[in-house]
Amino acid sequence: MNVFPDERDLSGGRHRDLKEFVMAEIQTRPRRNLLRPMILAPVLGVAAAAAVVLPLVLGGGTPAHAVEKNPDGTLTVTINEANDPKGLEANLRGMGYDVVVDFVPQGKQCSPRKRSDSWVPREQSKLTVFPPTVDMSDDPGYQLDLAKIGPGQTGVLMFAVGKEDRYVVAGIWAGISNGPVAPCELVDSDGAPLEVD
Amino acid sequence: MTTRARIRDGDQQAFGDLFDEFAKAVYNHAYRLTGDWSAAEDVVSLTFLEAWRLRERIEPEGGSLRPWLLGVATNVARNLRRSARRHRDAMARMPRPEAVPDFADELIGRVADAQHLDDVREAFVRLREHEQDVIALCVGTGLDYAEAAEALGVPVGTVRSRLSRARKKLELAATRRQVRGDRGTAVRPVKEST
Repeated sequence: MNVFPDERDLSGGRHRDLKEFVMAEIQTRPRRNLLRPMILAPVLGVAAAAAVVLPLVLGGGTPAHAVEKNPDGTLTVTINEANDPKGLEANLRGMGYDVVVDFVPQGKQCSPRKRSDSWVPREQSKLTVFPPTVDMSDDPGYQLDLAKIGPGQTGVLMFAVGKEDRYVVAGIWAGISNGPVAPCELVDSDGAPLEVD
Repeated sequence: MTTRARIRDGDQQAFGDLFDEFAKAVYNHAYRLTGDWSAAEDVVSLTFLEAWRLRERIEPEGGSLRPWLLGVATNVARNLRRSARRHRDAMARMPRPEAVPDFADELIGRVADAQHLDDVREAFVRLREHEQDVIALCVGTGLDYAEAAEALGVPVGTVRSRLSRARKKLELAATRRQVRGDRGTAVRPVKEST
């Protein structure tokens, strides 16, 4: 099956130009200032799956997480240290949102993977606002629209976290369950951290 | 010392050699995911910037770095919009293409691309993203199951099942398209002659 056009070379001097650019960038930019990657944990599952990433700076006396309410009613959640999921959960519950929050390290998965018998269809359960409608260029975070969680429903926020040097990179899985969800017990896994059934 | 080890240790000469060896592969892989040659150039730059930043994750021993690079490229392409914002300063410094050097070649390329796009892109873009990824890696770039699994960070069985599902969808779409194409041939020469 010929699915794609024939391969091309980078035209003219573009190979040289792009290489010069990349080499200049890596030579002149201090490592600590390099911007964070868009590395996403592969996400599977039948329910809504929206993945974004953000840089998380460890240490420095900053709060583990911050929740800011935006004028449009959405929230901006910034996670500075991925070590207090239940603290974040309590904050959000204190704001009136019925959610569960779990942090899933690399090499782990939530057990059971099927945490709900009934997920709200994806198109109705996009808790993450992506691309964000608020400016987060200076303080990257997740924009969430938790008002979509209806009475009797439970919002589920799972963050994939990893530690590397001074940063934690996180992806998010967000969905809405029609009813309660099973608690997440972290178990060893070679699958994607945010894989759900 | 292996190329892997040299890059892991921050050897810029080795990294430059890596760029020379795999820029084309990344460029074409990025096009398959974005459908845009210009965006594919941006993905090339961002992929190698990310690869340099992530170099300490490279295992010192192992085979070609192509699967790993294509995995980075897959994620960069998938997140180009957000990536562009995060890399705003770098993007602003990126060298822009100069005037098209050979208009005829470019036009031929565009026509060929358009025909391919007409035939394929619609079906391809309707695939789920993770199905697009395995098609681009396995069918487009020619990675085997194990390499694609390494690129995507998923088990080999997952690659196999995703590829199987994606192929079935594309084959079904191609069958439907053939029917439509047959009906449309009567007017095609007229369009081409104008």
